[in-house]
Amino acid sequence: MQYLLLIYLEESRWERLDDPEQQKIYQEYRDLIGDLQKAGKFLGGNELQPTSTATTVRVRAGKKSITDGPFAETKEQLGGYFLVEAKDLDEAMEIAARIPSATTGSIEVRPVVPRQAQ
Amino acid sequence: MQYLMLIYHEERQWAELPEAEKQKVYEGFRVLREDLEPREKFKGGNALQPTPTAATVRVRNGKRSVTDGPFAETKEQLGGYILVEAKDHEEALAIAARIPIAKSGSIEVRPVMPPQQA
Repeated sequence: MQYLLLIYLEESRWERLDDPEQQKIYQEYRDLIGDLQKAGKFLGGNELQPTSTATTVRVRAGKKSITDGPFAETKEQLGGYFLVEAKDLDEAMEIAARIPSATTGSIEVRPVVPRQAQ
Repeated sequence: MQYLMLIYHEERQWAELPEAEKQKVYEGFRVLREDLEPREKFKGGNALQPTPTAATVRVRNGKRSVTDGPFAETKEQLGGYILVEAKDHEEALAIAARIPIAKSGSIEVRPVMPPQQA
């Protein structure tokens, strides 16, 4: 079963961290990704650029409308995601709890729709 | 440059759609994917199970806490995502507008951080 782990954190807090602190967190991410890869559980993931670079697109009556910023203003912002393989929700939540940003932010765990169901 | 497209729609509206209408939307996704794939612009994507299956995980002082449901309650809900390769922001927005759900929901477009910085 695949799970999407959405990583929410306070962007302003992250930006205030000095470079050695950010590098330490990146290293923790690399370690976790390495561990998950060895176990065949890491399927993909990305860090996102800050929400100031986000754009939201809608099409109504055939016309494209574009607004700057993310879909929703939230206290913490989506900063990245992992796609992982886990045997069940419990294992997915265990992996989520190991994501470095889980200690300061929030990790939303979402099961993916199996491909054949679409 | 890679862009993550976050696909928000009203889950309830989707759940109430007749099967034939859903198949039309899935077909729209297939057409878009089959257009992007040969040009190496489609990098991945998934539909997510509805938000009642979501859990949000946090770790504070070494202790894990889990709450049911997504990170944020929103009018539309995250229903899936696609990761695309686009030459610039304009091309990314043009692709976003072709996602079938853009006609009824909202597509948040987020540039991905180049891996070497991560």
